[in-house]
Amino acid sequence: MNIDLDCHPTTEILNKYVQGSLPTGWNVVLSAHLELCQKCRHEYGDLESAEVLSWSKGPVEEVANDFSDLVSNIIQQPQHAAADTPLPQESSITEIHMLDHSFTLPRVLAKAANDGLEWKKLAGGINQAKVNIDTETQCEFIYMSPGSQTPMHRHQGNEITLVLDGSFSDASGTYEAADFVIRNSEDEHQPVSEEGCLCFAVLDSPLTFTQGLARLFNPINRFKFRKTIAHQS
Amino acid sequence: MNSAALRKEYPTLRPMSDRDQSAVNSVNARLTAPVDPDSDESLLVETGNSQSTEAFNRLFQRYSSRIYAMGMKLTRNEQLSKDLVQEAMLNVWRKARLYDLDRGTAQSWIFTITRNRCFDMLRKLKRQPNCVTADDIWPQDNGSESAILPEEALHEEQGSLVAETSIIASYCKQLPEPQQAVIEQIYILDRTHDEAAEILKIPLGTLKSRLRLGVSKLRQLIGVDL
Repeated sequence: MNIDLDCHPTTEILNKYVQGSLPTGWNVVLSAHLELCQKCRHEYGDLESAEVLSWSKGPVEEVANDFSDLVSNIIQQPQHAAADTPLPQESSITEIHMLDHSFTLPRVLAKAANDGLEWKKLAGGINQAKVNIDTETQCEFIYMSPGSQTPMHRHQGNEITLVLDGSFSDASGTYEAADFVIRNSEDEHQPVSEEGCLCFAVLDSPLTFTQGLARLFNPINRFKFRKTIAHQS
Repeated sequence: MNSAALRKEYPTLRPMSDRDQSAVNSVNARLTAPVDPDSDESLLVETGNSQSTEAFNRLFQRYSSRIYAMGMKLTRNEQLSKDLVQEAMLNVWRKARLYDLDRGTAQSWIFTITRNRCFDMLRKLKRQPNCVTADDIWPQDNGSESAILPEEALHEEQGSLVAETSIIASYCKQLPEPQQAVIEQIYILDRTHDEAAEILKIPLGTLKSRLRLGVSKLRQLIGVDL
């Protein structure tokens, strides 16, 4: 089992986030975690400073491009007056209400959910609302009702779960708000939630269910994922 | 007025946090550092304040190949990387007036612009939904802890009450001079942010962060001393 029990993104992942080299879905879940986690915001700040330094001071090959026309084009463009600073767009959804709970979403998730969330009931007290963010990942809000249990499953790729409210447990531990949980293809787990739990999950490939009747859904599940991807692209 | 009464009257006053302190320290360090007219920061401020094409040209010379290199790393495509040079430097030109001297280096500001524009460019190219943009994804303040949160911006507005009492005015004298000057312009002479920035000959962003730091330092002084 390769499980990061301290529930924060690794330095390697944070570094890729700083560099901008991750798929959008991953960036979104990292951004949301950073908003909830001061420790990781600090680490992000340090990593970004280091990245900026190596970018601005490191050796660079001279480009054989002639950019002189470019400069004269640019300086004919008007500059923003300071007063024009665009205000961050207000999202129409800033909160999610579940039973008697309501939760204020991190800024980036509020923006991602802005078109509205369509909740679907899945087996075992699980509710899912997909968010169409990019073609490389599948992003969704998951709400586990109190006392719910997902079928035992394994992942083909990585799955990141960010706990937004409430908590869930699996064989490795209990996860609470702001926890950043990564599962990879070697992990097989069966999350349960006693008190109920709102999460945002990012998967980079479909789940493979490994237990009981749920196994029957495997081909369909893959098909559905391919369909989602095809639909998006 | 004792401290309890003061807090009652000005409920938004709070002692300075470590975060405020480190921001103040970094600004104080910056204020005492000699200003090099050839530094990237000076060139950027000049580009914004006086639309200096010469300053912009020099920034272009210094950054175009770095931007191109970042483009190659992220897109592995020469044409896209050239497009990124155009896109990023156009943003540097357009937004130069928004650059804030007190909040980060020019390198870090240009780095953020480049990474974010590259990200948005690629999303557009891949025809991905535009529900989130780079500016939603990366912290706006380069990851430093001195960003103005909405709540703090509110405190800053309400901080105008502070100037109304002479007891607090006396604390102003303990602030670093640049912060005193800004507070005087805004709260005592009642100038707008734009007017004050012009009178003090500093970028608007710098004015705002000096104002914010000055007000939070005042809060600290009041919290500790009374």
